[in-house]
Order: sequence, then structure tokens, then C-alpha cells
Amino acid sequence: MKMDGDYTSFELMAAAGARELRDGEIVAVGLGLPVVAAFLAKRTHAPNMTIVLELGIVDPEPIEIGTGLSDPRFWYRAKCHTSFADMLGMVLHRGLVDVGFLGGLEVDQFGNLNTTLLGDPRGKFRRFTGSGGGNDIASCAKSTVIVIRHEKRKINDAVSFITSPGYLGGGDQRKNLGLRGGPRRLITDKAIFGFDSESKKIKLESIHPNTSLEDVLTNMSFEPVMPAEVPFTEIPTAEQVRLIREEIDPENKYSG
Amino acid sequence: MTKVTDLTTAVASIPPGSHVALSGFATSRCPMAFSHEVIRQGIQNLTVSQCVAGMEADIMVGAGAVDRIVYGGGSRGRSGQHYCIQRAIEAGTLMREELSSLSMTFRYLAGSLGLPFIPIRSLRGSDILKELQRSDAPVAEVLEDPFSGDEWLVLKPLNPDVAVVQVQVADEEGNAWIFGPYWDNEGQVKSSERTVVITEKLVSSEEIRRDPGRTIIQGFRVSHVVHLPYSAHPTSVYHCYDFDEAHVHLYADLTKTEEGFKEYLDKFVYSVSDHWEYLDLLGGLEYLTNLDADPVLGY
Repeated sequence: MKMDGDYTSFELMAAAGARELRDGEIVAVGLGLPVVAAFLAKRTHAPNMTIVLELGIVDPEPIEIGTGLSDPRFWYRAKCHTSFADMLGMVLHRGLVDVGFLGGLEVDQFGNLNTTLLGDPRGKFRRFTGSGGGNDIASCAKSTVIVIRHEKRKINDAVSFITSPGYLGGGDQRKNLGLRGGPRRLITDKAIFGFDSESKKIKLESIHPNTSLEDVLTNMSFEPVMPAEVPFTEIPTAEQVRLIREEIDPENKYSG
Repeated sequence: MTKVTDLTTAVASIPPGSHVALSGFATSRCPMAFSHEVIRQGIQNLTVSQCVAGMEADIMVGAGAVDRIVYGGGSRGRSGQHYCIQRAIEAGTLMREELSSLSMTFRYLAGSLGLPFIPIRSLRGSDILKELQRSDAPVAEVLEDPFSGDEWLVLKPLNPDVAVVQVQVADEEGNAWIFGPYWDNEGQVKSSERTVVITEKLVSSEEIRRDPGRTIIQGFRVSHVVHLPYSAHPTSVYHCYDFDEAHVHLYADLTKTEEGFKEYLDKFVYSVSDHWEYLDLLGGLEYLTNLDADPVLGY
């Protein structure tokens, strides 16, 4: 249970998210950690990356954190104000989005994501947000990165409702339906997972330095595919931590 | 020809049972004054549609004006869920045709182009699609692409009876500019039979002709123009005014229960006779000026 250096779990996750992004790529983000990961990548190794928001925003540079996509704080200094038809249609559906970030209520062992409801869809349930652009990003991006809190009820055997498809029942099921890409990474506050190339089941890649293998496994509802060795997740650099604290999220609003 | 009229007349032009496309997104450019007037006039059995639910849909659902919602989901982000919509869905009192942002966009686009259907990559393999296919009147089917032989999901177009769109600037014909992103609004207008424009500023056609590239809504699609400042309050109108955080929180807190929602409705909708009285109730010009947008920031 060691904590190397001065960084928070949120900062470690943001740095891990940033490592998924390459210079020159087009990235679709929502609110929260993915925004910090994308801005971090753009300020470090990926200055020519393009950030798109589904409602019609290209490359914003907000100086205040908003309450959601619809808050004009999030649109500040954008290069283009446009539409869903453009961003989700002529960019995402067209096949130009390299990485899409997704979050949700729960994820299953094949990366299927639920943002719609908890309970029985045809009986008693609690209703949440639904898809928005989530299903579209999951279906049409070249790859997706899922970010979720590491809790047993959130990393579940099966989800109440598949809002955004991962690999469905595994194997080639996703590909056979004509869906593009698929989840490439799952980032939690305890570990980072990939997906097994054959079965498409979630596969443990690394655990964060402040946790243990037991802690990771007891807080999820299924056993992931295990690698021969489990390394610790790469920690954020001092410069990454500085950028997040001083430039990207000085008021601690994304992480708060 | 002038189409400028008052809100009462514009709202009265919408018969019960109509399909109304709404221009809001969460807490931005939501035609709130329109919703308040629909509720005051007691218009019911509406179908409302939009890509992502806005507060204007939530309040109309809560007040019982809406039978059916066609949308891609949505919340108010950090300002909470749309509790009236959430409650109505959980109780099973609101008919729901639920898709995703892009599938809604494509359905409006198909409607705009006069196409019979439109193929899409989204929705396949999801429970969203399973629910749509269980419906008595399915709006999604699988077809073979005659060129490649591949299977594609196709969606039914949307052609709403009327689009109600909150804009920053319009002239008396209804030519209108939208500042900031315009999400699904262009498709909503172009797929609808007609459009009601609610504008913060009414300008001359000469002003529109000075920068016609900004015109997103063409006047020939518009039946009514309503000039009504602060008519999206408490939601934001980019470059006009910010969203009213305190009021959105008040709405969120009260609408968490049925009783709280009734309290909100009594105070802010039923106790006033029109939008001007609503603005007075809020605190008039002194209150509203504090929400005015900074011209550099736009909020």
C-alpha cells in the first residue's frame, strides 16, 4: 500500500488517460476526467490532437469548469461551433474519431456499458441519463477508453441495460454486427485493464501503486483475465501533476 | 410579411396532440417561456422530441402536458437529472421512444431530406435497440445494402408538426441566427412542418442581409416570431445571458418530489399571467442584469 510521490488517484488516472492519446488524433470527450486527460495530452505529447464535443464544439480551451456540455464555459475559445450532424455524423460516424472516452453506472466483463437504468428494465428500476452520444461513440469510434469507479457493483458480471456496446457476448460478436472499434482500455481508481484479443474479456494490465492485487480483485464482480505478471501503473510525472493543478483544473473542480 | 406575434398567440397555434421539436440542450437555449405558456394554456397530449433532453421538456412532462417523448436521453450534468422525466419513466406514465444523440440527429436529417429511411452504425447490439424493436410501431429495421450486401440498421425519419427554437437574433420574417453550437436545431427546423422562433433580439432584415452566412433558420420555414427577452431563463443563451445557477438548483431541489414540483409550478408558472410578470417575480431588471453575458466570454 505505498503512495509514490505527490499525486492523487485522480491525477494518476488522468495521466493514464493521456497516455491513450497520440499527437494528430481526433478525440471525443464528455465532462470530468476525460477532459483533464485530453487537455493534459494536448499540453504535453499531443499538441496537434483535436478535441471534439458532441453538441458541436471543436478544440475548446475553457478557463472555467462548467456544469456539463451545455454550459458555455466549456465552449470558450473553440475553433468551431457547429452541430451534432457535423460532430457525431460527419466526424464520428464518418470514422474520423480515434479515441472516445466513456463513463457510466456499470460495466461488464466484455466492456458493455450501462448509463440508462439500474434494476429490471421491464419491472422496477431507477432511471438515469440514457445514451446521449455515448452509444454513438461506443459504436462508431475507432477505439474507446472507459473510465469508472472501482466498486463491485460497478464492475459487474452483467449490466442491467446495455446502453453502449462493448464486445457484447465476447469473441467476434461485436465485429459481426458491423460495429467499429471497441473498448481498448478500462481505467479505474485501482487498476488499468485491457481486453483479451480472442475472448474480448477484460484483462488486468496494471494495478495502481496505492493498492494491492487483492484489493483490485475483491472489488469487482468477476475474475479478469490475468497476465503472467502484474506491474504497477506508471505514476504521473511532476510536470503532469503541475499542469493539472496549476493550469487545467486549478480549482479542483473536475477531480472534486 | 411580418410574422411577429405574442407568445400567447404562437402557443395557441399548437393543437393538443402535436409533435413539437424542442431546441434546448440540458440547461442551454431551452424555450422555457414557451413551456410555461403551454402549461398555462393547458395544452396536453403533446409528443416532444430532441436529441438531448432540456429543462423545457422536463417541466412540460412534470406538468402533464406531454404523453410521449422521443429523444436520446440526457441529464443536466452536474445540476442533476431531469427529475420529472425520470419520475414519469419510472412510473410508466410517459411513453418513450428512446434512441441516442446521433440516431435522433439522423432521423431529423432524413426528415429534412425527405428520405424514407436512413442507415446508421449506432444502436446495434444495444438494449436501446431491443426496446425500440419491442414497440408496436418500430422505428428501426435491418436492411441489406444493395451495393455491398452488408446488413445495416435503418431508422425512420422524424417530421415534427412544429419546431420551437430559442435563438439570439431574428428578423420579422423569421430568418434567425444562432450563436454558439446549434446541436440538433437545424435538423429540427428543416424536418418540421413549420417553426416557431423565439428570439432575444428582433432586428431588421437589413441586419440579417449584412451577414447571411450566420442564418441557420430561413424565414420561409417559420410561422411565428416571438420577441421575448430572457425567455430561456433559467437556462443560458450564449452571448446574451448565463444560466441562473441558483434558480436551476432551486428547480432541481424542488422537482425531486412531486409536491416540490407543484410548489415550483404554482409559484413560477401559475401565479403569473405572462413572461413579463415572471421576470418581475424573479426581481426584474436588477436581477436579470446580473446574468448578462460578458461579451468576451459569451457567458
